[in-house]
Amino acid sequence: MEKLKQNPIVKKLGFNRIILFCILLLMYGVFSAVIPGFAGSARIMSILNYAYFLGFLALGVTFVIATGGIDFSIGPVMFCCALMAGYTLNTYGAPVIVTLLMSIAIGFAFGCFNGYLVAYVGVPPFIVSMATMNIAKGLGSVFTKTQSVSWPQANDPSGIGWFRNLVKVGDIPTGLIIFAIAAVALYIVMNNTRAGRYILCLGSNKEAVRLSGVNVRKWQMLAFVICGTMAGIAAIFFVSAYTTVQPGLGDTYNNEAIASCVMGGTSMAGGLASIGGTVIGVMVISLLQEGIMALRMTKEVQMIITGLIVIVFVYADVSARRRRN
Amino acid sequence: MGEIILTMKDIDKSFPGVHALDHVDFELRRGEVHALMGENGAGKSTLMKVLTGIYTKDSGTITYEGETVEFHNTHDAQAAGIVIVHQELNMIGDLTVAQNIFIGREFKKGLMIDDRKMIRESKKLFDELHIDIDPRAKMSDLTVGKQQMCEIAKAISHQAKIIIFDEPSAALTEKEIEDLFAIIRDLRKQNLGIIYISHRMDEIKVITDRVTVMRDGAYIGTLITSECTKEDIINMMVGRVIYENPKTHSMVPEDAPVVLKVEHLNAGKSVQDVSFELRKGEILGFSGLMGAGRTETARALFGADPKQSGDIYVNGEKVTINSPEDAVRHGIGYLSEDRKRFGVVVQKTITENSTLATLEKYMAGMFINKAAEKAVAEKYIAELDTKTPGADQLVVNLSGGNQQKIVIAKWLVRNCDILIFDEPTRGIDVGAKNEIYKLMNLLASEGKSIIMISSEMTEILRMSDRIVVMCEGKKTGEIPIEEATQEAIMDKATRDIK
Repeated sequence: MEKLKQNPIVKKLGFNRIILFCILLLMYGVFSAVIPGFAGSARIMSILNYAYFLGFLALGVTFVIATGGIDFSIGPVMFCCALMAGYTLNTYGAPVIVTLLMSIAIGFAFGCFNGYLVAYVGVPPFIVSMATMNIAKGLGSVFTKTQSVSWPQANDPSGIGWFRNLVKVGDIPTGLIIFAIAAVALYIVMNNTRAGRYILCLGSNKEAVRLSGVNVRKWQMLAFVICGTMAGIAAIFFVSAYTTVQPGLGDTYNNEAIASCVMGGTSMAGGLASIGGTVIGVMVISLLQEGIMALRMTKEVQMIITGLIVIVFVYADVSARRRRN
Repeated sequence: MGEIILTMKDIDKSFPGVHALDHVDFELRRGEVHALMGENGAGKSTLMKVLTGIYTKDSGTITYEGETVEFHNTHDAQAAGIVIVHQELNMIGDLTVAQNIFIGREFKKGLMIDDRKMIRESKKLFDELHIDIDPRAKMSDLTVGKQQMCEIAKAISHQAKIIIFDEPSAALTEKEIEDLFAIIRDLRKQNLGIIYISHRMDEIKVITDRVTVMRDGAYIGTLITSECTKEDIINMMVGRVIYENPKTHSMVPEDAPVVLKVEHLNAGKSVQDVSFELRKGEILGFSGLMGAGRTETARALFGADPKQSGDIYVNGEKVTINSPEDAVRHGIGYLSEDRKRFGVVVQKTITENSTLATLEKYMAGMFINKAAEKAVAEKYIAELDTKTPGADQLVVNLSGGNQQKIVIAKWLVRNCDILIFDEPTRGIDVGAKNEIYKLMNLLASEGKSIIMISSEMTEILRMSDRIVVMCEGKKTGEIPIEEATQEAIMDKATRDIK
């Protein structure tokens, strides 16, 4: 076992990530064996639809967790973006592309708001994001006058349903391609740019980084901005895969995104992050949600499971740190 | 000295890549103070961690009070009567002294905590130790010295038979050290076995009965303190005696320009109207007692803490420094006294730490040029003779002296012309200390200018070209090295207190 861990290829990929990937395959195998008709492309498409928006949320929040922070507002922010953009589309007849950009802009604005308060004003991330969670929910409801918003179907006669091609063109999962590109880009940001380096270092020892002459506030804020922007993009993939967005919801996705990160090896204590791990974590959660639905259990069962996943993996991380010290 | 209470025989311990303890022997008698000495990384702490159950030994035996023992955690060791008084104090500031001493084993009266009994018991403890501390005082209101006394009282209240002091004097004033020694002598009289870890040679001569020296994880030998000299011990520790010669006159040329001028710097109570000049190639010593405001001056100058007023000139030009970012941009680097908290990111690699202040120079477009970055880290590993298997090593795995070299490398990579060394050799062993001295002299001769804050008088006299003395937030004197004596410095350092 120890020998396997020291293998250079295993080291590069990360032992825990390989294990998690095996768990993912195992889960798929078990679901396919237990549930008749689970195997097959229809289910996979459905799993992927879930994985896209959850994936963008989780990739974004990975950056915040890497700074040692937390963001509980991403799910509601995503819904707020989808509601405000969708309402603008339906009520004012704005062009689709404008509303999609608007969604990203709203997410970006939320990210700036959270990031500024955390990095420059010094409010703890936990408090800021809890407050923003409610602001996002409230804002979405007020803007839409507490009505749910339906985005146009792919076959809408006016042709405005084209954005659904973002997730699927015929049988080709275009969403997977876009998501993969985004994941690779963010991997590079995390590991090969100053932003990623400073975010990881300040997550580990902020004061030492500050005393090295680095503008830590800027980089800390940037992590939240990335996170918020990703929530805005997640909203686009949510409405491209599904149709109706209801006001006042979205918080369950916080836990699912955070669970994806911690499963993948991103440490809640900050300083350590794995984009690849987050991607696998997202797939595990998406598969789990599909499996639970197929077993005719409710969303609530999944909430229990993701809650437990967070606790188990954070415990594993904490005890691993303790052993190292 | 009484009978043998503890024998550690043939203790062996390896970590991946490091043979931390190489068949080490150690013996302690009742009623003796036994010094454990060695350079950082010599294995002293590891040996004590094996003893108290924090680490499990690979082989060897521990015999305690005639029985072979193996502790699995500090709790077991504590229950058996072996306690450590740590260098970093583990007290809770918001609780009272009594509450801290009896934490985890509070006296109860029904469901309620019996505070009165805890206060009574604490008082009794303090009386036995001749310590004058009010058990009802809040821990955070006490000085570091007093807090340490509480830690000792707590250790004794555990019915300790062996007390391990891990660099107890590092943060204490002279007076507090005397008090500490009085207590240690008392404990010796009560027949406790005491293990004393320290780098301060003078203390070893004063307080200990025997000295065991370790080097590179191996047992070198045990001496009776009264029968050996300082040089004997140092020889055993480093296998050689070398020290940079003390300066007798300033090495700064007459016409060396002023690179840094600070005028009327004010920052709270600890920095009041401080002005001084630093010249090119100069090592400017900052001397004074604890709390004199030297570190605060450096931090305010560096922009780490806010200042109320004051002008700073770099190379004759007035500059605005409101953050470390500003200071670094003007070529000032700061090496903190607390490396782990303020100097390095311990969970990151040597490479990542080396370029932390200069990352923008190691970019290829948007991306970090990792090869160039690693090359420069390796260059400074070689240049500063940092002991590590490679540049990919996490800094947490390095010894104190080597971590200090990483911080120095960080500023050298940045090519800072003005370096502020705050207690550059605190917690660093004799051999590595001399390397740091050599390095500072080399840097100064290459035209770097250094501010050196130090609480060690010998270090100040050995290294400085000129000495600024501070007392209670004010600059009380400036002495050229030619006129500097311990007495002259002490006189100015206590000027306001008298």
